[in-house]
Formats: sequence, structure tokens, C-alpha cells
Amino acid sequence: MNATFAIAGATFGEAVRKRILMVILLVALLIILISPAFEPFAAGRGARTLIISFGFGVIQLAGTFIAIIMCTGMIPTEIERRTIYTILSKPVQRYQFVLGKFFGAVGTLAFMYLMMGIVFLIASRLALGSFDPQIVKGLIMFFFQSSLLAAVVLFFSTFVSPLVNYFLSGGVFLMGNLLSSFLETIQRNPDVHPITRIPVQLLTVVLPNFANFNVQNPIINPEQVLTDEVAYLVQTIAYAIVYMALLIVASMLIFNQREM
Amino acid sequence: MSDLAIKTVNLTKRYSGLWSKQPVDAVKNLNLEVHRGEIFGFLGPNGAGKTTTIKVLLGIIYPTDGEAYVLGKPAGDPKNHHKISYLPENPYFYDYMTGREILTFYARLFGIAEPQRSKRVNELLERVGLSRAADQPLRTYSKGMQQRIGLAQCLLNDPELLILDEPTAGLDPIAHIDIRDMILDLRNQGKTLFISSHQLSDVERVCDRVAILNRGVMVQLGRIEELLAGGHVELIADKVPDNAVEPIKQLGGKVSLHDGRLIVEQPDNGTVDRVIDIVRSAGGHIISVKPYRRTLEDLFVETIQGGKNA
Repeated sequence: MNATFAIAGATFGEAVRKRILMVILLVALLIILISPAFEPFAAGRGARTLIISFGFGVIQLAGTFIAIIMCTGMIPTEIERRTIYTILSKPVQRYQFVLGKFFGAVGTLAFMYLMMGIVFLIASRLALGSFDPQIVKGLIMFFFQSSLLAAVVLFFSTFVSPLVNYFLSGGVFLMGNLLSSFLETIQRNPDVHPITRIPVQLLTVVLPNFANFNVQNPIINPEQVLTDEVAYLVQTIAYAIVYMALLIVASMLIFNQREM
Repeated sequence: MSDLAIKTVNLTKRYSGLWSKQPVDAVKNLNLEVHRGEIFGFLGPNGAGKTTTIKVLLGIIYPTDGEAYVLGKPAGDPKNHHKISYLPENPYFYDYMTGREILTFYARLFGIAEPQRSKRVNELLERVGLSRAADQPLRTYSKGMQQRIGLAQCLLNDPELLILDEPTAGLDPIAHIDIRDMILDLRNQGKTLFISSHQLSDVERVCDRVAILNRGVMVQLGRIEELLAGGHVELIADKVPDNAVEPIKQLGGKVSLHDGRLIVEQPDNGTVDRVIDIVRSAGGHIISVKPYRRTLEDLFVETIQGGKNA
């Protein structure tokens, strides 16, 4: 495991020095910081909803961009620069390399979320006068959403070029956010032809469901009440962990056969 | 324990792209044996298949056919990587790290624990002459310093076999000599070195045996002194009368006249003595007698150009 953590550490060190990621983080922090300025546009409960959902929106967008930009080049760049040759010529198994890269990516996301979370909590405290526990729950859920997305991007990076990966991962993220709602609509409508319904059902099962992590929906739509919120959060996080594990195992298997 | 550090048996690596009609053999039926304790030069023009072979030996790519063994075990076995080291051509390291950090990183990959890790890193920084620059980021290092740190990461595990791809390419003369001396020092320690290089004068100076690869096929293999046996002596003489030229021609060798000067190339010193006697007795003047040793460059050019013409 020492080698895995050494690779994870190097991946983290490199990622937090990437200018593009730092620019995204700084812009996100700045927007979160000024989000209380939107308070006059809503009153009472509306102000709370506006500030929190706006902050969540910024954090989710930043997390998505960071996960995709960080992970698309993670393996192809190592091959292109030949750093991978000096690593794999050491007593390092290929699966350790993939695992190290993933842990490094998740560590970077954790760092980014921590930064954005602290600023968001401070900004919302100043604007609303109290800490809202929804914010912490939301941050955790978005962190797992971004980590799942990072696993998807890393999986694709074991066999496609970075450019293709941008589109593939972006497409999977978009579909993963929309498919469950789309499926619900289809299931409510008995007239939908099986040619449409079956592929949508199949894709909903195969592709990761990113919509489950979108905790801002109940904030915007407070009439949606969860009967057991803790169970929902635990299940969603467990779903993310299992899905990530499957993706990383698949990445390891593909990378094990990969020629560089 | 096998006395072979590297062995390949009919090693073939074929690349066939998804859309390309014709598969390309980067390496074809390569049979190679590198003995423990020797410095082996692995030569060839660009695209000859040298780096492909090295990648197979390291398990970075897999052979299409044939077998490859490193230190008696199948190539690419990561457990074997405790005993080998690799320096790629134009190595790139995480440039945000300092020299000390990058060596610590690689030491962790080797599983070297503290306090041995710090001790080993400091020893190697000293050995490659980078102690003073140890805490500078690698992005500030010159090419020579990068190459030194590359060599240092190769030595972390005190390897039995070092595979060096172009270890002296692009270095200034001082750095070049330093790296060459380090290689000779490693030979004195009994290490096996497998060096791929275009610096033929270096290879000639440090290697025991060489193999030349062309278009994926091994076209020369042998000890340097055997491969470079031969050479000739060139004699230049002036004012040699015409009647002396014929007896010189009869001695064999290559005889030519340029601007009234006689140029004779003879394969050995004995015949040269007789040419000198003839020139002097005919009243001619000897201007120079120069032995020409066959160099690895000559052999390389002959081998590769011979291959092209074949």
C-alpha cells in the first residue's frame, strides 16, 4: 500500500498545483463569498433557499469541472511524459498505480470541497445568522457525486484520449443526472413504445445515477419530504462507493492489458 | 542462479493498428543474451526497435511472440523489479518536487522505510553531486542535473541490472563525462548495465559487448574488440617516381594518386614497412604514416547502410 499512497500523494501534489484547477476553485470561492449579496432578491425563507441553492449550484459546477479536468489527463499524461515508465519499472503493480491515481483524485476533491465548504459555511452564517446543517449534508453528497464522476473519468482515461474523455464523461454525467427523471416520466405514460422505454430503463441501470446526490432539489422543492433522510443519505453514499469500486476494478483490468 | 541478466528467445513485437492494413514488426525474432556483470550496448538507428525491446523487458508492453527473461524470471514480473532499474530517454519527473522529494517518492515505491530512506536519499544526492540543489524544484534543474537525478533514482535499490536509455544524450561535455564515469564506476561494482545509446564513442569506450538492431532485426552481435578488429594504416608519400608505384600496387592494399601525392592504405604494419622501403629507395618522401582503427561508428554505418542496400 506504500506505493499506492506514494502515487496518491504525488497525484494530489500535482493536481493542487494545476493552474486551471486553482482558477476554478478561486472563482467558485469568490462567487460563494458574494452569494449573500443576492439576499435582497428574495425575502424570508426565499432568501435562505436562494443563498443555499445558489451556493450548492456553484459548488456542484466547480466540483464537476474539477473532477473532469483533473482526471481526463491523469493516465494519458503520465504515458505521454513517460513518468509512468519510471514508476512501473519499480516494484509497483499496475492496479496500485490506478488505485493511487484514484485516491489522489479523491484527495484533491476532498481538499477542494473543504475549501469551498468552509467559505460557504462562513458566507451563509453571515447572511442567514445561523449554520444550516443542510449545507454539510449537501457538501458530503456533492463530494461523493464528484468522486463518482472522477471514477467514471478515470475509467475512460484508461482507454480513450483526453478529448474523447471530456465528451464521454460529460455525456455520462448529463445522462446520469437526467435519466431517472426521464424514466419516471416514461413509466407514468403507458403509451410510450418499448423501443423507447427499454433502452432508457437499461441506461438508467447501467449508467451511474448522479441525480440522487442533488440535495438542492428538496431545498428548492420543500414539498418533497424524505421519510428517512439518514437512510437515504447512507444508501446514496453506499451506492457511490460500490459504483466507484466497480469502476476502479474495471479500470484496473483494462489498464493491466494496456500497452504504453 | 542463471548467469544471464537478460535473455530473449525469438522475441517479436508486432503492432497492428485498428485501421492499418499492414502490421509492423517493431522487433522480430530477437535472440539476445546479456551476461551478469557486463556492460551491453544496444544500438540501432531510430525506429530500430531498441525502446520497444526495453519496454518488453520492463513489462510496460507485452510481446506478441517469443519469450523474455530478466534475471532469470519472466520479463515484467514486478517482484523482480526490486533488482532492476530503468532510466528512460529524456526522463521527465514530477517537476514540482525537489530533488530530495522525487528520490523519496521513488524510494517509497521501492518500499524503503525510514530511517533508511532518508539516509539512502542523502547518500545518492551526494553521489550524483546534487546535495546543494537537493531542495530546489526539479523544474529549475538543467538537463545534466535532471539526468543525474534520473541516475540517482536508478540506484536507490542498489540494483543488479540497470537499463539505461540514452543516458548521455543532450548533455554538455562535463555532464557527459560525469555520467560516463558513473557508468564505469557501476561496472567496477559488478553491476550489469544494458545501455541503449546513439553516443557510439561512449558505447565503444564503456561496453563489453554490443548488439546492433535494424528494422527490428538483430544484425550484429559480439564483443567490441572482435567486431572492431581490422582497420588499416594510411601512408602518404610525395615525389614518388612512376616506376615505384607498380611494385607498391603489387603489395596489395589500396593505392591512389592525388595531386602528385601517393596515398596507400594497407591492412597491416608489415606491408607498410615494405612500402616505406620502396618509396625511400626510389627517392620519394614519406609525409605521414597514420594507423586507422576501425571505430564502432564505422561498423554501425557499414551495418546499417549495408542493410539498406541489401
